[in-house]
Amino acid sequence: MAEIRIKNLHKEFGVGEDKVVALEDVNLDITGHSFVSIVGPSGCGKSTLLNILTGIETPTSGTVAITSDGHVAAPGYVFQAARLLPWRTVTDNLMFVQEDRSEDTRKRCQRYLEMVQLGDKGTKFPGELSGGMQQRVGIARAFSIEPDVLFMDEPFSHLDAITARALRRELHHMWDETKKMVVFVTHDVGEAVELSNRILVFAKGGRLEDDIQIDLPFPRDPADDEVAVAKAHVLRKFEELDLLAS
Amino acid sequence: MTTTEPTAPPIETPPADRVTEEELARKARRAELTSRWFWRILSYIAVLAIWEFALLDIFSFLRGSPLDPKLLPGPSEVVATFFEIWGEGTMPAAFQATLTRIAVGFGLSFLIGAMIGILMQSKWFEGFFKDAVLISLSAPGLIWVLITAIIFGNRPLGPAIAIILTTFALVTVNVSEGIKALPKDLLDMAKSFQVSVFKRNRQIVIPHLAPYLFTGLRFGFSIAWKVTVLTEVFSSSEGIGFEMRISAVLFDMSEFLTWILAFFFFALFLEKVVLEAIERRYFRWRQAVTAT
Ligand SMILES: Nc1ncnc2c1ncn2[C@@H]1O[C@H](COP(=O)(O)OP(=O)(O)OP(=O)(O)O)[C@@H](O)[C@H]1O
Ligand SMILES: [Mg+2]
Repeated sequence: MAEIRIKNLHKEFGVGEDKVVALEDVNLDITGHSFVSIVGPSGCGKSTLLNILTGIETPTSGTVAITSDGHVAAPGYVFQAARLLPWRTVTDNLMFVQEDRSEDTRKRCQRYLEMVQLGDKGTKFPGELSGGMQQRVGIARAFSIEPDVLFMDEPFSHLDAITARALRRELHHMWDETKKMVVFVTHDVGEAVELSNRILVFAKGGRLEDDIQIDLPFPRDPADDEVAVAKAHVLRKFEELDLLAS
Repeated sequence: MTTTEPTAPPIETPPADRVTEEELARKARRAELTSRWFWRILSYIAVLAIWEFALLDIFSFLRGSPLDPKLLPGPSEVVATFFEIWGEGTMPAAFQATLTRIAVGFGLSFLIGAMIGILMQSKWFEGFFKDAVLISLSAPGLIWVLITAIIFGNRPLGPAIAIILTTFALVTVNVSEGIKALPKDLLDMAKSFQVSVFKRNRQIVIPHLAPYLFTGLRFGFSIAWKVTVLTEVFSSSEGIGFEMRISAVLFDMSEFLTWILAFFFFALFLEKVVLEAIERRYFRWRQAVTAT
């Protein structure tokens, strides 16, 4: 079981007049089989938090620890943009993040490409794919290492509604099946309520404002009364934050 | 928008259409390439034909003008001279001498240029090398050729230094630009997936820098050629430039033109066949990028 522990996390960029506080005194524990969504206005530090958790950025102060059964957890990361190597084919992009190049690994990569409906595009270069297809390759890449924790930064926001819905289902199915942890950033409160059992609301300036548990059974139908109520509740939180800010 | 629930997400294009589409695109590309080469070759034939034609006897009233065959031999005569010289075995030897000079000089220049490009990422070294790079880029190559010819005479160091001084900056500028444009997002991605530093360098940094290095190689090489031949004209006892000087001194126009033609075709071969083949082979992904 994976565990994320964040203590007094503080992150700023730049110095002097250019100083930007991206995260301010964040304290947070995420344990076990959680599907956590992070919502909040643009620039409130959501991507920065994921970057720190995946080791891309270092905290200005405070600590983060991600473990899985006592050892350091392997993270998978789906970025806001696809971030594929343009000089490698789709298959080689997946192979790039693998630990070995065995036949089994290759087959696993192919399986995840098929999951995102790109089974026949393995030999293409990213430049030959549409933006949405590239994003799906990025998703397959993160899944293909079968990570302990899956971090996703608005993974479906560039996709058409139908593909996004299919992938949302697939994601949820995987989460259910593998009992892994998912940390999911989104702008879309509806998406957050539909997918997660916990929603973290961040406010401008990088403060964690609210931590909402949603204990409704899956799959959740947006038309369902209880789901609609939960969504309204989160949206109201948002409005309150907006009022505070202005 | 459909309102019915799809059982499977939509497939972009049916595979059958896709194949014919690609086939058509490939055919169109081939036709376009063929016609381009046709016109290119036609331009050579046209120039040669006019040249030969102008030297025919019917234009004998032009004798004494620059179109006198004694002064300007026709293409057929130049070709005959070419085979004559080729038979004597002087041509491969001259090319070997010139190419060795280029390889040594430009090899060194490439290393030095790349190294300076890397060093210039630091503010201090940037200040240190900036003007040297600018001067090398803007000063005519002839200056360095003359200076090195005066200082070194026909010692092999002369051409090497002339090549380095005229070409290193091209490599420096390209390497420096490549490093400035390193794809941070991809390197971050690799880091988050815990890809080793070695693999990150090999699969991200090097492929990213390759086109920049290649551009430096290409432009640097085309200048190295000219500079080398020039140094040979002034101060050498072997090589293509030396042979040109000898024919000029002996007033053998036909031989002089033969050397120029040989030089020209060899350069064209390297540029159009060798370098373009490398480009097609290693930078296929770039065509994919520009295609979309
Ligand atoms: N590398 C960086 N250098 C300087 N400032 C940065 C850097 N990365 C992020 N910031 C700043 O930190 C703040 C938080 O940025 P972040 O990208 O985490 O926001 P976000 O919540 O992901 O926004 P969005 O929803 O638009 O993606 C912003 O003010 C941003 O300008
Ligand atoms: Mg973001």
